[in-house]
Parts: sequence; structure tokens; C-alpha cells
Amino acid sequence: MLRLLGAVLVVGGAGALGLLAAQKLRRRVENLRAMAGALELAERELSFRLPPIPDLFSSLERRAPAPAGACFGRCLAGMDRLGEDSLGTLWREAVEETLPDLAPEDREELAELGEVLGRYDGEGQRQALALTRARLERNLERAEADRDSRGRLCAALGLTAGAFGAILLL
Amino acid sequence: MTAQERERAAARFRQAAALLPEGFRRPLEALPPGEQAEIEELRLRAGQPLTALLGARERPVPGALAALTPGDLARVLEVATRASAHTALDKVQNGFVTVRGGHRLGLCGSAVVREGAVYNLREISSLAIRVAREHRGIAAPVASALRTGEGVSSALILSPPGGGKTTLLRDLIRILSAGEGGAPLRVGVADERGELAALWAGTPQLDVGPHTDVLDGCPKAEGLMMLLRGMNPQVLSADEITAPADAAALETAANCGVALLATAHAAGPEDLRRRPLYRRLLEEGVFQRLVLIRKTGGGRRYAVTNLEGEPC
Repeated sequence: MLRLLGAVLVVGGAGALGLLAAQKLRRRVENLRAMAGALELAERELSFRLPPIPDLFSSLERRAPAPAGACFGRCLAGMDRLGEDSLGTLWREAVEETLPDLAPEDREELAELGEVLGRYDGEGQRQALALTRARLERNLERAEADRDSRGRLCAALGLTAGAFGAILLL
Repeated sequence: MTAQERERAAARFRQAAALLPEGFRRPLEALPPGEQAEIEELRLRAGQPLTALLGARERPVPGALAALTPGDLARVLEVATRASAHTALDKVQNGFVTVRGGHRLGLCGSAVVREGAVYNLREISSLAIRVAREHRGIAAPVASALRTGEGVSSALILSPPGGGKTTLLRDLIRILSAGEGGAPLRVGVADERGELAALWAGTPQLDVGPHTDVLDGCPKAEGLMMLLRGMNPQVLSADEITAPADAAALETAANCGVALLATAHAAGPEDLRRRPLYRRLLEEGVFQRLVLIRKTGGGRRYAVTNLEGEPC
């Protein structure tokens, strides 16, 4: 009875690990999609209204899809530290805290954008937003392919590894 | 200066000092309030320690003797513009940025020139934070002399540069808008360089009265016409009329029955008449009164005259 219970736990645990890995791949897709949408909104705002960065971030916090909105909100909240930390630093921290499922290369793209935001004229920033969005969309395509292929693989591998462990245990 | 005025001036100083990184801000906050109230400017130069301008002399600030770095100056500018260089670019081209509280941040550095005009500054070398000061009530006698029943006479304020024209005009706008000594009037202000009202996030940082509409950052000529068309003003105001387009906009407004308040660099009525731009404005009857500012010792005296320079 105890062995059977152990086998169930091994199968369940390994399967959960596989599912978690698959879920992380799904969440990366969601984060990238949300952030690409938010950057498109930011481009439009900068083209049309040319708002100051706090106003832009406040607007995106409300209008951008989750979890991108939270990223802009987090950066906005950190802006009272401006003077001690640069906007680029605050932005990088916000990305790391609110979008933990992004891959390192996604975060790198966004960190580069943080060094441009608020530092150049409206057109320069709009171009940087467009470039980052294009790069994120390219990453998104890869992430979707990963989710479809590796996502299923992770879940199956988890369950298989669990089953193999259970057989050994029994 | 009364104790209340001194406390207000010290609070304004602390607000201006908040633009600085902590290591330089703390020593300024530690200064006695009386000294804070007297400081007119903070001067920041790369490679030199911070100094404070008191009267005509720059003095070092105790506890802030470390040399400023170009990075420190860049951080001050980032705070001043709320990390939004794109919104301050046109102001940078004027050589200064107006910040929250109406303080003015003067800039020096290496100019980036495009098509023959200054586009931006890179490698900031010096900053001068001029603490905003309001002189409430200085225009009361001028306002009384300009009032005409329910309205006000159109007036041109004259003085050489640095004579206090903008300060007088701002207080005059506030008095007319608030209805001190007469009926409150709707005043439209074309504040091209942000010096009259110092708008920040849509709110004037300097008191221009409760019935004042401010159009900020727009060329004066266009601004005056937009205010005339959109805001139904009883009084229109603009600082430093220097271009034919500004004068043409004033003429149009005068023909629409709106009173005008403006300023010009001139030593007096004769100096004004020597220049075709102003001569035409006077000949067309755009202004009925001149306000002359004379420096007297530490203060200023104001005289309201008719167009011939005779006292009113």
C-alpha cells in the first residue's frame, strides 16, 4: 500500500514538474504578446500626444494587457527614486519583477529599450519602440513554436519519467 | 520679508533643491531656513563643487564640497524633465527648462546643431537652478491706474532687459484675474516660453489668478489667435513682443475688442517709437497706456503714462 502511494506521488510529482515547465512556456508567450501590444500602444501615444514618460506609463498601466500593464505601473511607482537611479535601471527592475517568465533574450531586448526611453526626441523613441516590438514579435513566433512542440514534450516527459520511477519503485 | 514670506521662500528653495542627487541635496536642506529663503540660484558646474548665489556672490555650500560630475548634472536634468527629454527639447533649445514649482533650470553644454539651429545639448557642463520667486501685490497700483469701469486699458510694459517686466506682468494678470480692486476678468495668456505661468502637468506653478487660461509652449502669434478664437478672453497677454507676427496678432485682437497686456524691451517711449514694429502698434492705437519700470536702489518704481509719456 505504501509503495503504491509512493508510486502515485512519484508519477504525480514528475508529471507536475513537466506541466509546470510547459506552463512556463505558455506564460512566456502570453508575456511577449502582452508586451508587444503595449509597445504598439506606446508608439501611438508618442506619435500623437508626445506625453511625458510618467503620463505615458500611467496610461499604459491602465490600458496595456496584463502583465505588461503591471510592468509599466511598477516602473512608474519607482520613479520617485529618479535622481538616485536612472530610468533605465528602474525599467530593468520592473521587467524582472513583473515579467519573470520571459527568456533572458526577451529581457535583454527590453533592457535596451529602457536605455532609450525618455532620453531622445519623440521620433527616436518611437523608432526604438518599433524595433523592440519587431524583435519581441520575432521572439514570440519562436516562443509559440516552443510552446507547441516543447510544451507537450515537457508534459509527456514528466509523466513518463514519473511512470519509470514508479516502475522502479514497485 | 515677513516670517510667513520667508518660510514660503525657504519652502520654494527646498523644492528646487529636491532636483539634486541626495549627496548634494542633504547639505542644502540642512541650511538655516533664513539662508534658504535668501538663496536666488544654485550653480552646478562639472568638475566644481556646488555653489549658491546669495546677492551678487556665489558661495560654497557647507557639506557639499565634492566636485560635481557630468553624470550628476545629467541626473539633475533627468529629474527636472521627469525622464522625458522629448517634452523638454524645445525648451532646451531656448537654453532653459521650467520645472515643477516654476523654478528655471538654465543649461550649458556642447550644442548639437541641425540645419543651422541649436537642436539639443549634449555633455551638459553647467546648470543654474533659479529659485522661483513671486512678488505678490507689486502690480496693485498699476492695475488701479489701468482699470476702466468694468474693463482695463491695453498697456505695454517697458524696461531694459532684467528690469522686472515679466514679474510685473504676472502679478498684473493675477490681480485682474482675481478681481482685486475691480471685477474679475478672463485673461488669456500666450506663454510661449513658460515664464509667466510655468505650467506643470497642466497647472500653473506661479499664481496667475483663478480666471486665467494659459497656452504654453506655442508661438505667441498663433497662441494669441487660438486664445482669441477658443477661450473668449476679456484680456489677452503675452511677454516680450519682438516679431512682426506677434504684433499682427495683437492688432487683430485689439480690433476684436479685447484688452491687451504685453511687454517690450525699451528704455522709454522715445526708444519705442524709434522701432518700426512698435511705432506701428502705437500709431494703430493697439495700446492706450505705457507702463515704465525704473530701478531705484534695491527696488523698482512703476509709472503708468499715456502714449506721449505723460503720467496718468
